[in-house]
Amino acid sequence: MSVESRGLIDRLGAGAWYGYVALVALFFLTPLFSLVIASFYDGRFFSIVDYEFSLGWYEAALASGSIRSAFMNTVRISVPVTILSTIIGTGGAIAYTRYEFPWQERFKLLALLPIFFPLILLGLGMSMWASVLGLGYGIVPSIIGELVWISPIVMFVVSITALGIDPNVEEAARDLGADTITMYRRVTLPLIKDGVVSGAIFAFVLSWNNYYIVSYLSGAQSTITTWIHGRMTQGFTPVVPAVASLIFYVSLLLVVAAFIVEFREESG
Amino acid sequence: MSTIDTLRGRIDAATESDNPLMALVRPPYVLLLPLAILLLVMFVGPMLAIVMFSVQPANSISLNPTVWTFEHYAEIIGGMASGQGVYGDVLVNTAAVSAVTTVATLVFSYPAAYALARKIDRYKTVFLLVLIIPLFTSVNIRVFGWALFLVKNGVLDSVVSLFGVSNYPTMMYQRWTIILGTTYVYMPFMLFPIYLSLLSVEDETIAAARDLGATRWTLFRKIILPLSKPGVIIGSLFVFILSLGADVEAQILGGGSIFTMASNINYSFGYSQNWPLGSAQAVGLLIITLVCGVIILRTINLKEIASRGDA
Repeated sequence: MSVESRGLIDRLGAGAWYGYVALVALFFLTPLFSLVIASFYDGRFFSIVDYEFSLGWYEAALASGSIRSAFMNTVRISVPVTILSTIIGTGGAIAYTRYEFPWQERFKLLALLPIFFPLILLGLGMSMWASVLGLGYGIVPSIIGELVWISPIVMFVVSITALGIDPNVEEAARDLGADTITMYRRVTLPLIKDGVVSGAIFAFVLSWNNYYIVSYLSGAQSTITTWIHGRMTQGFTPVVPAVASLIFYVSLLLVVAAFIVEFREESG
Repeated sequence: MSTIDTLRGRIDAATESDNPLMALVRPPYVLLLPLAILLLVMFVGPMLAIVMFSVQPANSISLNPTVWTFEHYAEIIGGMASGQGVYGDVLVNTAAVSAVTTVATLVFSYPAAYALARKIDRYKTVFLLVLIIPLFTSVNIRVFGWALFLVKNGVLDSVVSLFGVSNYPTMMYQRWTIILGTTYVYMPFMLFPIYLSLLSVEDETIAAARDLGATRWTLFRKIILPLSKPGVIIGSLFVFILSLGADVEAQILGGGSIFTMASNINYSFGYSQNWPLGSAQAVGLLIITLVCGVIILRTINLKEIASRGDA
């Protein structure tokens, strides 16, 4: 085989791999594209030939009182969930990765298990449990419920970063006389900062998009995802794609931001 | 261990034994207690609630430990065994959806994970980002996007009409539409574990096998496949248990006409208001999830993932 034809075959092979991954990427984006296309379309049925672009559904979405209150409820749940799950998850990650203690592996098992549970199972168990405990339903139970699923995810993300730290650095800080608080403030936390920041962003996006847990715990309060679900299953209106797109745009911006934080060193 | 470490360990041990309560406010306990308490109260508790409610009489909304019954289990298992009625359908639908979804995600993810781990350098971050974004978009929004794509007069319809194709059978409200939805939603959970395991295959290993005369097929069968086995196992368990919980997919893409285990549980809870009956169905899901979850967590080594993330 000549050198040129060998090179050609390799390049065709490489092209095929790129082509396949591009197809998978297209598959991943199909419903999201469909959503965005539908949200800008001025009419009930689509047509590529006479597509009529319109921002009308976005205006309608922003003007609607019930949608605005669902947005506010979503924010009221997401912000506390982000702050609390970042603190709780980071604490768990530091404890698990920077210390040795009895029952360490059992702690990891308990702490990460909720990530692997179907959310419908978590939601319905919590719904009954909230009734048994007298916790009730609404914003606060939703916050507590989401913490159960999101704190472990933050712990996972932060643990991956924390395992990359050289333990000798902390040892050195102690030898130089740093007390525990000073060591965390000046050494440990700055080193895991990127993991904590991306963990916090993921926590916000996951809470912002949560459906199953809030649908079981929010009671009479509707959030954006439960509002969308209600309109999809009963009484569809064309404003639904615009609302769904709005929540997707927020997620998109934040996930890109989290990705940049995580991969900054590689590209820089 | 250095002398200083040993001494510090002894001092720590001494302080702890002096006052066990004081030990709790020192690291690592002060750091892990909030998470441990949260999960014991709000994760272990709710899972116990599912088990306890499953043996309560029909339509109970409070727990009464003295009254218990297995009537719901009898009803569910009897229905599944006879293959008739809603439980027969639920069993068939759920098994079909979970099994086909697991196989489909594996078949489609493996080449993509291989390409990302070993063949693609340029635009790799962009590709990874595209594959991650759906994971952080609400499940009902993504499923709704598929409905907009597939429905009559939807996006797909208007694209194929450009080619003069019309009058094809409807694509919504069928079992395979649900499978498309679950394959879509859970594919990242297959792709990323396989991707991470393939990242660990070292170039030297492959070069050595090539030098020893391995063909592409032998190389794949003897080296790449065995080394990616942990990823395949974790991914398959992950997709299997998550697609057992597919409720929104069945509701939206199945149009309420095809019930899976999860959508039937949701129905028992929401419309019939029968918590014990819903719980009894959920216990099966709970046991499978617990077993698979523990296997996944015992297979996952966080240290390895951390070191591969840098690669």
